[in-house]
This record gives sequence, structure tokens and C-alpha cells, in this order.
Amino acid sequence: MTAESAARFEALEAQAEQIMGVFAQTGYERIAPAFIQPADIFLDRIGEALRNRTYVFTDPDGQELCLRPDLTIPTCRIYLERNPSADVQARYAYNGPAFRYQPDGGDALRPREFRQAGIENFGDADRERAETEVLALALEAVRLAGLEQFQIHCGDLGLFGALLRALPIPERWRDRLLHQFWRPGTFHTSLRRLMSPPAAWRDDGIAALAASLDADDPLAAEQHVAAYLDAHGLTIIGARNIGEIATRLVSAAADMREEPLSDALVSLVERYLTVSGPPDAALDAIAALAREAGINLDEPLEACRRRQRLMREAGIDTGAMLFDTDFGRQFEYYSGFVFQLELPGRGIPGQIAGGGRYDGLLAAIGAERDAPAIGSAIHTERLLAATGGAP
Amino acid sequence: MTADKLILGVPSKGRLMEQTADYFARIGLPYVKVGHDRGYRGAVETLAGVEVAYLSAAEIARHLQLGRIHLGVTGEDLIREHIADADERCEILARLGFGRADVVVAVPECWIDVSTIADLEEAAALFHREHARRLRVATKYMNLSRRFFAENGLTSYRLVESLGATEGTPAAQTAEIIVDITTTGTTLRANDLKMLEDGLILKSEACLVASRAAPSTAASREAMAAIRSTLVQVE
Repeated sequence: MTAESAARFEALEAQAEQIMGVFAQTGYERIAPAFIQPADIFLDRIGEALRNRTYVFTDPDGQELCLRPDLTIPTCRIYLERNPSADVQARYAYNGPAFRYQPDGGDALRPREFRQAGIENFGDADRERAETEVLALALEAVRLAGLEQFQIHCGDLGLFGALLRALPIPERWRDRLLHQFWRPGTFHTSLRRLMSPPAAWRDDGIAALAASLDADDPLAAEQHVAAYLDAHGLTIIGARNIGEIATRLVSAAADMREEPLSDALVSLVERYLTVSGPPDAALDAIAALAREAGINLDEPLEACRRRQRLMREAGIDTGAMLFDTDFGRQFEYYSGFVFQLELPGRGIPGQIAGGGRYDGLLAAIGAERDAPAIGSAIHTERLLAATGGAP
Repeated sequence: MTADKLILGVPSKGRLMEQTADYFARIGLPYVKVGHDRGYRGAVETLAGVEVAYLSAAEIARHLQLGRIHLGVTGEDLIREHIADADERCEILARLGFGRADVVVAVPECWIDVSTIADLEEAAALFHREHARRLRVATKYMNLSRRFFAENGLTSYRLVESLGATEGTPAAQTAEIIVDITTTGTTLRANDLKMLEDGLILKSEACLVASRAAPSTAASREAMAAIRSTLVQVE
């Protein structure tokens, strides 16, 4: 444990017990996921940025393991172990350490071994209700610990997917933009690149091959590509198969036959990503953008408005929240509502608590289907520091 | 190691060891081994305040970072790989013109749909969906790769550390692509790999590098000044 003194350890424990009490009252069952986790599941889901900070090691059997860098995936694994088909509702709460490399060993507020007290809510099909419950519990827990002043910063990653689905563009472009959404730094370039041919097209042979492939006959396309490789003396090596190469050539050839993405659509996407403000006003601004572009976002926007109503009914001051359309772009497994409790200007780094919806994660780590899932975690060391409990 | 002398780290093996010794002889600072022939210490005949330490090329980079040696000769690839904030912690005094190698991103030649990083990103996203795992990149340059991919927007990948025969990993299916050094591209071609058009990460060569973290003593400052002025004359 990171607590350096007995007093600090006891203060952290007392605070965590209080938080766990709040969670227990709403029916969250306390679980204790393993500290040591299979590395693969994490490394394949979390991406290189966090992998970089995950303590990975190989045990004497040659198994690649890691110290859990957060508790969400370990909790998902417990849920799946108990419910392999991911079709029942469950509420879990946990309190314990997670481990992330910090340059120079970290400091008191960014320790490499830090604690999280959190909850995960699985299988609740009433998404807005579950989102309200999870945010309300996080708020209740930090308030009970004595935190009065903070900013609720939030967003909804599902809205961006809804926007793309409403645009009159090919499915492949949609997939690519959704994928690129997670790379804010290069998103703008990718948006523009949708209109230009792949670099491989500079080779006339490849451009001609791609144009000759039949999109409706993948097997024939694959055979064509195999024949081309053979004729050019190119050996097939590695796990990426000819089918994948053919698929990409076919889809790139199809792109070339599409109408280019209009300036109006490019600008719509870019303007969408700059919307920021109190949630109600932000939702109105998005609705106005959609009207102007002649696309229908009524259903997802109504879901957001319903969430706002439920949160107000739960006593949350939604007018004081800050909604950003591009908030949460760095957490790759989130899929919908995301939030953080922040302390602007208090000298406490990062967020006190954070959470969000991650509907695709269970399937990605082995569930038979996607299932609704949302959770949140409180950084208890930071909460203790923010409430004056740090020695 | 002698506390107050300037310590110069030089490669202890292979071509790089010979070329480094030739270079110092050429600029008028020849060094010789002291004591046993198999030992790892040496001295510069014309400059008393210098102790020569024979080290592996990767160790030289780490010792420069920690300030255990004042000067060292090693590849820029190792400097950039092993030293975070290399430009703040070290100063490259001279590029020596040997030990040239390019650190590049290479993919199987049969990937006819991939010739740039942008292509690779799309292929990697498709691969991720198709195989339910990320594309693996075998390399000994974990940090250089990570930085380069982050700057160029490639994210659907996973690094796999490879300490030898990296070019063979795609064929052996322990990785899909590689980041490795190449001089002529012959080894890449022999392993059915090709470099991406915009996949040049670093043009590396052997460098004489000064550590900013090494302890400064009267003797080390004097020796450093002498070496710097020699370098100016050589230029």
C-alpha cells in the first residue's frame, strides 16, 4: 500500500469504508478482483498509451501477466466468470490499489500505486437511469467525504456515433471516422484523407488490380490477389491473410467511386466537435447543427435530454455541469456517457473521480454479446487530499 | 572508476570498437588498454585526465543518462531509445560518420495495399477487428517506436520486445510488422519485408555524446575543454 504513515493509512481506510457504505446501500455487492491479471486482455484493450504505464511481467511458466492498471477490466472478468452469457443484471463495488508507472516514481498525488473505490453496473437496459444512478452515487460518496466544490465535466461518445450514422456516407468511411475519433491529433487529417486515394494507388498495377476486384465475390477477389502476389514473386508471410488485403483493396476501390465527402459535411463534423457548455445548451446547439444539415438526431438527443431530466430529479445541479462533445476521446473503451469530477485551480492533478459507459467492452473480452455496462471510480488519495485529510 | 577524471565510454566490441579507436587516433587522442588485454579500462596517451571505459553500446547510453560517464561514443538510435529527454540530458558533440543505420518501419512485402503509415493504420484497424487482437510490432526500439507511432497517429498496435532476429518475426508469426535498423535493405528483402515510404524513424550514426549529469571536477573540466578544442580543430 502507498500510505506512508499509519495515520494516513487509517484515514484512507476510514474514507474508503464510508464510500463503500454508500455503494452498499444501493445494492452494490463488494468484490475483490485479483491484483495480478493476464496481460493480454489489458494490452489488447487499453492501447499503447496506458500499456506504456502498465507493469507487465513474465512468470516462470512464461505467462505474460500485469499488475492491474485499473479495476474496471478485472471487475468485468468477475462478472463474466459468474455470468458467461452477460445477460443478467449485476452491481459490483470495489476498493483497492491499481498500479501505473509514473516518471521518477511518482509523488503523493500521482503515486504509481494508487487506490480506487468504485462501482460497475452491468446489464441495466435503461441506460439513462443507470447513468444517473452511477453519477449520483459518485457525487454522494465524495460529498459524504467532505468535498463541496467541484466541477462535473461530461460528454457523450455515443452521440458522435449517432451523428456519423445519420450522415449520408458509406459504411466504411463511418467505421474509419469512428476509429479515428480516438486520435484527436490526427482526426482532422483523416477527415480530409477520406477524399484522396490510398498511397498504394500510385502503383498502376495495384490500382488496376483493385479496380478489377468484385466486391460481391470475396472468394474470387482473394484468388485474384493471390494470383497477383504469385505473379510478382511476393511470398505470403505473417498472420494477416490475403482476404484482409483483398478486403482493403476492394473497399479502397469502392471509395474511389464514391462522391467525395462534401465541405458541408466536413464542416458539420468539425463544428460538432467544438460544441461545449452547460448540457442543455450544448444539446440545443447540436440539435441546431443537425437541423441545419438536414439530418435526424432526434432519438439520441431525446435520450440525452431524458438523462438530464432524471439527473435533475435525482437532485443533481445539471446547470452547473460542463458538457463537451469531444470529452472522453482519450479513453478508448468508453462508448456513451462519460464524466469526471474535477477541481479546477486547486493544485490537485487529474480528476477526483471519473466514469462512463462502456457497452462494447464485455464482448471484447469474451462475452457472447455486447451488454450495457457503466461504472465509476474515485481516486481516494486525491479525495483525501482535496478534503484536507492528507497529513 | 577514478572519481575525478573525465570518463570516456567507448564500445567494447566489434566494428564499432575499431572505428571508434581509429577516430580518436585520427583526431590526435589515441587511447590504449591499461593492464590486462582482456580488461575494460584504458587511457588516452596524450591527455592524462581521461579514463577510458570499454562498455557495450547500450550501456554507454544508460551511463550517459545517469551521468556515470562524461563522454561516450554510441549510436544515436541507442541515445534516443534509452534516454528520455535525450536533448536535455545529453549533448551530441560530433557525428562520427560511421555506424550508419536507419531505424525503419517494415511490413511484409505481400501487403500490397500498405505503403504508408496511413495505410498501415487502416490495415491495423481492420486486423484488430478481424483477429480480435492488435497488430504486433516486434522491435528492440520500444521507446522510439512508441513516440513515432504516437506522432503519426498509429494506435491499433502492440509492441512486442524482440532482442534478436527481429526481421524473422513476421514469418515466424510472433509479430506482424517490425521496427528495426537497416543499412541497405538487403536483410529486409531477404525476409520478404519492405520499408514503408514514410516509415523512416531515424537516420542514425555513431555520435560522440556528452552527459549533462556527470559530476564535474577540475580534472574533468580541463579534459573536456581539451577534447572540445580538439573537435573544433578537426572541424
